[in-house]
Amino acid sequence: MTKQETRARERQPAPRITDVTELKRIAQELRRQVVRLVAPTGQGYVQQGLGAADLFTAMFFSELRLDPADPAWPDRDRFLLSTAHNTAIFYATLAARGCLPEASLADYCKDGSPLEINASERIGPLIEATCGSLGQGLSVAVGMAMALRHQKRDARVHVILGDGEMQEGQVWEAALMAGARKLSNLCLILDYNRMQVGGHVDNVVGLEPVADKFQSFGFRVETIDGNDMDAVVGAFARARAHSEAPTCIVADTLVGKGAPSLEGILGHNMKLPADLAARALKELAGAGA
Amino acid sequence: MSSASSAADQTVSDFIARGATGPLPRHYGDALVAAARKDPRIVALCADLPGPTETDLFQAELPDRYFEAGIAEANMIGMAAGFARMGQIPFVHSFCVFVTRRAYDQVANQVAYPKLPVKIVGFLPGLTTMLGVSHQAIDDVALMRALPNMTVIEPSGPEQLAGAVTAALETPGPVYLRMLRGDAASAGIAPKPLLRTGEVLRRGPHGTIFASGLSVAAALEAAETLAKDGSDVSVVNIATVKPLDTALVVELAKSTGIVVAAENHSIIGGLGSAVAETLMEAGVPAGFARVGIQDTFAEGGTTPYLQAKYGLGAKDIVAAYGRAAAQRHAIEKGRA
Ligand SMILES: Cc1ncc(C[n+]2csc(CCOP(=O)(O)OP(=O)(O)O)c2C)c(N)n1
Repeated sequence: MTKQETRARERQPAPRITDVTELKRIAQELRRQVVRLVAPTGQGYVQQGLGAADLFTAMFFSELRLDPADPAWPDRDRFLLSTAHNTAIFYATLAARGCLPEASLADYCKDGSPLEINASERIGPLIEATCGSLGQGLSVAVGMAMALRHQKRDARVHVILGDGEMQEGQVWEAALMAGARKLSNLCLILDYNRMQVGGHVDNVVGLEPVADKFQSFGFRVETIDGNDMDAVVGAFARARAHSEAPTCIVADTLVGKGAPSLEGILGHNMKLPADLAARALKELAGAGA
Repeated sequence: MSSASSAADQTVSDFIARGATGPLPRHYGDALVAAARKDPRIVALCADLPGPTETDLFQAELPDRYFEAGIAEANMIGMAAGFARMGQIPFVHSFCVFVTRRAYDQVANQVAYPKLPVKIVGFLPGLTTMLGVSHQAIDDVALMRALPNMTVIEPSGPEQLAGAVTAALETPGPVYLRMLRGDAASAGIAPKPLLRTGEVLRRGPHGTIFASGLSVAAALEAAETLAKDGSDVSVVNIATVKPLDTALVVELAKSTGIVVAAENHSIIGGLGSAVAETLMEAGVPAGFARVGIQDTFAEGGTTPYLQAKYGLGAKDIVAAYGRAAAQRHAIEKGRA
């Protein structure tokens, strides 16, 4: 190992949180933030954000190696949100982790603000690629994983994909490549919330058996409850420890998770009027850690 | 796994409806259903955007002729070619940007080359969405214009959305429809036929503004402003961008001498390019200026904000007219 590599491994400017109770508390706070961000204008994706809050919390507070003060650090772990519209939770998480000024959240989706609905690299290097056109994130992640390997860097690449997004053919071209090249520094997380614009994914074009598909493409596959913090943290750690193949985490998530009045409602771009937002915030304040 | 449970005290549809700003009229979607009831060859394909492409009614009313393609636009175009080769008339739906850029090779080989009657219908033209660069079709007209056998149509507004269905069906081969949904205020608007020829909306001797889509309204507004300043200009709605009504373009360029082309699209490859190509080849020495997106990507934002920031508004057309008039003046001076 070169000197530089050793340094990279030791440097962890944003310390990882390993206490699952604390992670759950953070996830709950991020959920409240999602509702606060989406409610005033109705812009943004509340159901997806609540569903993916545990994935984002574990990713940014426990798994990723990053330096909020130096977002372009070459040895950072890369994170790509291929479903780039899921920004309410993404920005809430980035702000809580110190990667975005909290105050900038007030401009979410406002004219002129770089905090667009679809995450754009206008924000800076933490948006590793601009991904609003679905189906493209995994290809970029594969390229990054191959380049990291080529450059002998030990950083990892994580990418979240949506279940509807899996219908894009490009996803499967990228998956074939990742498996063929045994990219063990790559971790794909399928945010399996069962929802797309047209409703339930099974009523549009179903994916099952999706775990078997990724397995046959050469991935190490784990199916977990994506709203169980222990399970999420554990799956990320096992992906990191594995050195033979890329990992695919099939994360079952529940849209609206945490606010009983919203849970399970397949509203893709659901508006959230003030009274319902207030109710959701109340539910989120009472429940959880 | 996570299973769907419903909200405590209301149905899902209640919930979504309550939060919505109000249902949008379905000028295009209703016309497509009406046409499909008359012509059993018509089928609809959609890449997971039934609401935003107004095909939700088609899905509900004619479910056996509605085919959900999922989020897989390239595959959808190939499937549409298959339907067309089997004698159907497929209307395929997504956002403009995805049915053009993302499926271009499939459109070229499987639709345009064999001249199949596939009607490619896109929504969110140009800078009309908060969804940002990935969702903004700034080059779709250029892409579709460049394909042999392709007809390119852009209604001037909600009044021509139903007419776009008729125009698409009257055109035997492949057609690209570039559509912008009408807002709630457009409900009940009187439909206007969509012409193959340029439609002169206003006649004035001093200059001509050729416009398409959203820019038609801006051009009419600009013409009002110019009239106050003493320039009485013609305004032409070019709803059929390809094939372009070149005879009208040449005639008005010759008779008025000052030409502005305005579009909610890049200045490269769209209406402005088509008009410029026509004028150069016809040897018309007109003053000329383009209004459009200046060879740049944009950003997400409200439509008025984007149209103003990226120079697509009435005042930008007025400014362009000034440039074209100055150029005309210079041409005449050079001649004297
Ligand atoms: C290539 C492409 N086609 C269509 C769209 C429009 N679109 C935005 S979000 C979405 C549904 C995404 O569903 P999924 O991947 O399951 O994400 P989630 O439901 O979790 O938001 C669609 C069709 C797009 N962004 N990109």
